[in-house]
Amino acid sequence: MKLLISGNDAIFEGAVRAGASYFAGYPISPTSEILQRAALQSEEDPKFQFLQAEDEIAAAIATISASLAGAKAFTATSGPGFSLMQEALGWGHVVEAPCVFVNSMRVGPSTGMPTQPAQSDLFQIKAGSAGDYYPIAFYPHSVEECFRLTVTAFNAAEESLSPVILLADAFLSHLYELVDLGKIKTEIVSRTKEPLGTGQRLFTGTAHDKMGNVKTSDPLIYREWLWEVKDRHSRVAEKYPLFEYLPRKDSNVLLIAFGITSRIISALKERFSIFRPIRIYPVLEKELREVTQSYPRIFVIEGNDEQYATWVEWAIGRKVMKVPCLGGGFKLNWIQSQIEEQLKKESR
Amino acid sequence: MMDRSYKELLKMRRFPHTWCPGCGIGSVLKNVAMVMKELDWNHQNTVAVSGIGCSGRMSGYMNLDAIHTPHGRALTAAETIKRVRPDLNVFVLSGDGDLGSIGGNHLLHTFRRNPNITVFCNDNEIYGLTGGQAGPTTPQGTKTITSPGGDPYRPLRLGRILTQQPPYFYARTTVYHLNHFKTCIREALQWNGFSFVDIISDCIELNGRRLGFKTVHQMFKWFDERFHIVEGVRDHLQEDELGIAKREAEEVPRPKEEAKVKAAPEVPTEKLEAFTLDELKAFDGSGGKPIYIAYKGKVYDLSTSPLFQGEKRMRCHIAGKDLTKDLDIAPHGEDLIFNFPLVGKIEG
Repeated sequence: MKLLISGNDAIFEGAVRAGASYFAGYPISPTSEILQRAALQSEEDPKFQFLQAEDEIAAAIATISASLAGAKAFTATSGPGFSLMQEALGWGHVVEAPCVFVNSMRVGPSTGMPTQPAQSDLFQIKAGSAGDYYPIAFYPHSVEECFRLTVTAFNAAEESLSPVILLADAFLSHLYELVDLGKIKTEIVSRTKEPLGTGQRLFTGTAHDKMGNVKTSDPLIYREWLWEVKDRHSRVAEKYPLFEYLPRKDSNVLLIAFGITSRIISALKERFSIFRPIRIYPVLEKELREVTQSYPRIFVIEGNDEQYATWVEWAIGRKVMKVPCLGGGFKLNWIQSQIEEQLKKESR
Repeated sequence: MMDRSYKELLKMRRFPHTWCPGCGIGSVLKNVAMVMKELDWNHQNTVAVSGIGCSGRMSGYMNLDAIHTPHGRALTAAETIKRVRPDLNVFVLSGDGDLGSIGGNHLLHTFRRNPNITVFCNDNEIYGLTGGQAGPTTPQGTKTITSPGGDPYRPLRLGRILTQQPPYFYARTTVYHLNHFKTCIREALQWNGFSFVDIISDCIELNGRRLGFKTVHQMFKWFDERFHIVEGVRDHLQEDELGIAKREAEEVPRPKEEAKVKAAPEVPTEKLEAFTLDELKAFDGSGGKPIYIAYKGKVYDLSTSPLFQGEKRMRCHIAGKDLTKDLDIAPHGEDLIFNFPLVGKIEG
């Protein structure tokens, strides 16, 4: 049956489909609805555990601890809360706890503009926590995709044994669309890690060897561990090279956009080619290089100041043109005029 | 001969341990393991959780599935694990800086939620691993490397905070009063709910020597002078008392929901002045006129309502109108309206 549901609803339903049985969170718009859904779910289903934590730090730590204890766990927040969760995110990568962090972005920094949509936490997923780590992040652009990608995120988490990030934006979280969830087919990867109480393991955020013994002064052990993690994460990421490419033969201009921005500029698909990365991190390096080859002019349209554009330039090795939609303003007319203006300036 | 079977619970292969000679942590670890052995807690039914610092390293020496969390987050992790796996015994081994300072918020809220876990706090009144900085429990006036003129602040009284509302279990003991110490551990592990053992411990290398003690024995004598054991169960402990303060949950009598709802005033309708809805519109408070509203066919005078404050509009209620339908969505009942004088009825 088709139901009118929001992006937040779809994310929650996706998590339940993937087998999630633990949610910890702290109220923040625009993801408070996920917290409320979780509270209701815990009333209805005694197997589903829910915690409204004292802050996002506790929510994130609880999510990772629940994963170590054997539950498929997830949490949802927005930019300011995601900043607090960075500590736990780093810990989750070291103790190898599969779980999902949902970050529905709003205008920052700090409290920013509650609750205007933005796409400005891209650098935060990669570089918010201390040290080297290799997160995987997906970004849907419709309510149906919120559902599918939540399941994908849980699967990638189980395979990479790490927290996986599902990005959204305030727009998408509160976007209502007709979706028939029952008809969507999904594959679920089940837990392979042994639950607690079956061994004498140490799950520590300190550098350690394979036996779990703390080793804080051996560079060789650390390197061996880090290469193994990097290798595993890139293998899993390669399994999900998700993107959407709408080529237009008569156009030599390529627009790159993701999330809600790609929905807005889809009105321009009759004039320009459009590339939409779905796996935001690791950056779709190979795919970007192949697709951009034939386009002399490339625009990156995003709700932040050049974050993804920096990654595209790094991946393809040349400059791109940028349309930053800042402060929650995602107007098609404005975006179109920016593109025209920059094209005119270039042809002069 | 002494029973040494408790060593099964310790990772003896990792000894010698990382702590300084004379440190009180070894005593905490050994006695906890001895009591666990008595109670038959082992790696199949128990999980140890610890935070950061000298005392945070304790979990790494327990021969159990152990979790070593980031600084201050041990309680959240322990609570979550107990919630996801109620079949496991969960206890926390950590220190005063970790639990009282960086984890202070989690301490308050985990105590409030009262999960069935036990916390052993190695309270050495100093930050040991980081080099001897003043901690939250450092006595006022103590000279440390971050308070060279004497710590200006009063210490955190964990004993007061954790006995402020039942149910609670708070025990204070020292590593010197060995029998008392073991009794406290035993009772805490058997307590059903959140139990906290504040173990006054010595840090001779980074605190004791600066205070003028030459040996651990001198520090122990100092403990003996500062504290005395009190027998029996108390409600609260004074700052110089060692003992157990515990109280079961109080049955809070729920306020009976008496039917306080006022009924509509019974006045024969014939005697009331009749208004039409059009006439009523005039009584909107403007120009010194009274504020009338209609409810279920009757007219009430709301001029004295502090909420209207001489305005035409009080939030969503508009003076001079029929507000019967408004009440369905209002956060209050109809008794609020019945507090005001009845002045007429609606006709037509």
